[in-house]
Amino acid sequence: MGSAEGQIPARLRLDQLIDDRPAEGIFRVSRAIYRDAALFELELKHVFEGGWVFVGLSTQAENANDYFTATVGRVPILISRNSQGELVCLVNVCPHKGVRLVRSMAGNASRFVCPYHSWTFDSTGHNRSIKWKSSGCYSAAFEGEDHNLGRVARFGEYRGFLFASLSPDVPPLEEFLGESRKLIDLAVDRSPDGLELVPGRVRYTYAANWKMQLENCADAYHFTSTHPSYIKILNQRAAEHAAEVVTATLGAADFWQEGASGASGGSMSFEHGHVLNWGVMPVTSANPDFERAEELAARFGVARRNWMFNMRNLTIFPNMQLAENASSQLRVIRPLAANLTEMQTWCIAPRGETPAARTLRIRQYEDFFNPTGMATPDDTVCYEEAQVGMAEQERPWLQGHSRGHAASAAGGNAFSELIDVAPSYSVLADSQLGDESLFRTYYRAWAGRMAGALDG
Amino acid sequence: MDSPSPADAARFLYREAALLDGGDFESWVDLYTPDCVFWMPAWRDDGTQTSDPDSELSLIYYRGRRNLEDRVRRIRSGLSVASAVLPRVCHLIGNVIAEPPVGPTQKVHSVFNVHVQDVRTCRTHVYFGSYEHVLEVEEGRWRIARKVIHLLNDIVPTALDVYAI
Repeated sequence: MGSAEGQIPARLRLDQLIDDRPAEGIFRVSRAIYRDAALFELELKHVFEGGWVFVGLSTQAENANDYFTATVGRVPILISRNSQGELVCLVNVCPHKGVRLVRSMAGNASRFVCPYHSWTFDSTGHNRSIKWKSSGCYSAAFEGEDHNLGRVARFGEYRGFLFASLSPDVPPLEEFLGESRKLIDLAVDRSPDGLELVPGRVRYTYAANWKMQLENCADAYHFTSTHPSYIKILNQRAAEHAAEVVTATLGAADFWQEGASGASGGSMSFEHGHVLNWGVMPVTSANPDFERAEELAARFGVARRNWMFNMRNLTIFPNMQLAENASSQLRVIRPLAANLTEMQTWCIAPRGETPAARTLRIRQYEDFFNPTGMATPDDTVCYEEAQVGMAEQERPWLQGHSRGHAASAAGGNAFSELIDVAPSYSVLADSQLGDESLFRTYYRAWAGRMAGALDG
Repeated sequence: MDSPSPADAARFLYREAALLDGGDFESWVDLYTPDCVFWMPAWRDDGTQTSDPDSELSLIYYRGRRNLEDRVRRIRSGLSVASAVLPRVCHLIGNVIAEPPVGPTQKVHSVFNVHVQDVRTCRTHVYFGSYEHVLEVEEGRWRIARKVIHLLNDIVPTALDVYAI
């Protein structure tokens, strides 16, 4: 068929982007999915602006009239806690001339005044003033229009994690999160007061497709190949016990050690595209949560407490990642172009931890997660080198989504049962399995959101 | 040895920059005291940087030269793809203001521009901001006891290492 309005040319059919034939043991992704500019526009519209995306934490606007700004796809949004203490999610655009209303990252305001013609809105988004309205000789039809800020169609909170959808045609938030919400519980339950963002947001870009980050967070196969320089430093630090270097959580863990034997981690896949990549980590003082280890065991039982100390990389499709490994990081993926992505990152921490635990968490974070640290740059450079290789060529299909298929089982396993989580699929792995079968979960959810926009 | 004159302080800063530009990272690390602080804060909001490294996030925070040695070891390791093709860098330092010395220590303020040619991607970047150096006389020569890098860039393009700030 031809390229009708809103559709890309027929050469980019869904089955030419994702080759998903479970009965034959085939799951392949085409290079085009990371490269094609027209496809990228459709992704913004249908993946990011057509369904639930993560927009922030409720603690970013804690008090009445606190607000912060974010984006849903290309649309600037404003999340405001109104004077009644209720969070609202608004389109951050003045309805008059389309000017972005609030430009700062965060603040406190009971009124938002557009800089262009002074239309004024309250912290619920209601229009409180149209300048010189009575002299404006408006028609009766104008009087009948809604002059408030646009409301984002769906907005919801799960234990402090805020999600929004510009499309009203989405499942309820709890259904969207499904069983993966229990992994959010596991993170939040580490403190009776929940989680907060450590002050200091770090942003970086990389010149590659957003799905490279989506995959890398769940990629158990890359660690020893991509990060040997960091691993070498971990080993040296562990051997020396020097006072001035930070203790690393990963040093004591087996899940990535090539010599380790037995089940040491694995993956879980959930409905709507969410995945967990996890590994066993011991309960030691290298983890800042150690100060609460006994309290957590008493409150939640030893098995659940031990899970709180495991390495857990959780992706809530399509743009949120909660990485608990070397430290604890909240990442928001923001696609800017087919070959350019912005990452917004924070250290996320249990409220009320001691100053010593907080400092340890921060030090562990900086060395590993920052674009100025010793691990993330080796990831992002690999994404960029992959983007170079995404150029159209004779063999369109990548071979990077194949490991673990024979180990992938429907439902959960003994480890997921410990925390009462029922995934759609799971893999229980030794350290060298390096599961890639969980990527199917991303691309099937991707295909679901893109279904109306692609042929095939 | 006396505390440095403002002109001496400026020359010392230029020397540090030249060692980074020339890729002599071992001599660069040797400029620091064993218990030095090397700190690049992050941005707390649009207008203020984080100011307490123990309770707020920094881009880089080290207490102890040993950590800078780790950074150099990683750059030299041959095991870091981000360090495999080293970018070419050129530091420009200006507006050097040396505060009056306090005992054996001297605080020096300056601003910097670092131009970077990322050879791997053929991209150029500029990093800019200000430095605060606290210099100490140790064994008859100046050492850096504390360096704070106030980076004004808000978004790091892919990666930023110690030689480009």
